[in-house]
Amino acid sequence: MSADASDLSLVRRVQRGDKGAFDALVLKYQHKLVKLVMRYVRNPAEAEDIAQEAFIKAYRALPQFRGDSAFYTWLYRIAINTAKNAVVSRDRSPVEYDLDRNNNEESYDMQGRMKDSETPEGLVLTDEIRSTVNAAIDALPEDLRTAIVLRELEGLSYEEIAAAMDCPVGTVRSRIFRAREAIDRRLREVFEGGLGRAEELG
Amino acid sequence: MNEELDSQLSAMFDDELAPAECELLARRLSRDEHLKARWGRYAIMGAVIRAERGVRLNAPLAGRVNAVLLAEPALAAHTAPRDRSAARLRWWQPLAGAALAASVAAVSILWLRGQAPPAGVPLGAHLTPAPLSVAPAAATQGESYVVPVPKPPTVVVPSTELANYVVAHSMFSTPVARRNLLSAFMTSEPAAAGAEEPQGDVKRIAQ
Repeated sequence: MSADASDLSLVRRVQRGDKGAFDALVLKYQHKLVKLVMRYVRNPAEAEDIAQEAFIKAYRALPQFRGDSAFYTWLYRIAINTAKNAVVSRDRSPVEYDLDRNNNEESYDMQGRMKDSETPEGLVLTDEIRSTVNAAIDALPEDLRTAIVLRELEGLSYEEIAAAMDCPVGTVRSRIFRAREAIDRRLREVFEGGLGRAEELG
Repeated sequence: MNEELDSQLSAMFDDELAPAECELLARRLSRDEHLKARWGRYAIMGAVIRAERGVRLNAPLAGRVNAVLLAEPALAAHTAPRDRSAARLRWWQPLAGAALAASVAAVSILWLRGQAPPAGVPLGAHLTPAPLSVAPAAATQGESYVVPVPKPPTVVVPSTELANYVVAHSMFSTPVARRNLLSAFMTSEPAAAGAEEPQGDVKRIAQ
């Protein structure tokens, strides 16, 4: 299986003028990118702004992307540069925003949440999503749970998971899909029933 | 929702789908909002499993990016002028190549005609090798040594018919083909070409 074929097929579509394909790339990488940027700025709202800027820069630079490296490697490089530039320009600004760097991560997180313009319902929804997914994973049969965790947490390929679980690759694919389906059924209830934001996932 | 399609979507999300299937599914994914929403939820599951703390799982980031990009022209519009100019360049390249080859052929023919003997002189008559000049033994001093004598220029003159043929067909043949034709003609008419090997290429000076 060719690595990055999925991203590359979406990238090629964007390069041909299909903006919807870029939307799929943003949905796939937004959390990873925000997490990456938070190594530089800590504040979630600011990290989202930088991630947004990085995505827009990436979109504008996509005509020059030839696929020599993986798309996410290229995207991460853009995000890191954008984050570094944001930190430099923030440090040059007369009003210091920076928090006490001796504080622990939790207090940064709290500060970020306090500065955040998101509604309390939004914060509740994030917590609800987390607990729902975790509960759904706990309820999975062990073979499905192992497969999805090895994939998402350890980043193993299907072939590596098949070797670890001593089963065919096709079985791994099926287990991961079934695990996602089980989690998704619970997750959809949160979005559709709970706060009615089924389409607003990004 | 088709289960096979969802299974493919899950595999595509993990970069475990064959490229050909990815192409087809990417097309559908970019247009189908329900499929895209499911794709987004797969990303949320991954973020929760990786315990990405501090990341807001319901942040409207994709929506914000999408809103900004709505005002941007599609990338194909950016690349179209460059593609058109490239296409124009591709169209001119063979013509430019043919024109260059024809120019080289014409210059070659003119040069060859300039090297031809005057009318009435037998072909190759001017190619008589220069006699070897051997220094008299009495004039020699010291040790003997060998001095290479420059070869007389061996000019091969094609016939007028051949020249006319090459000129007339230069537009329809490559330079290599023309060179091969000339070579074939020369080797098939050694007498007419009058290219004789010089009797010797050294001048020995006895000392």
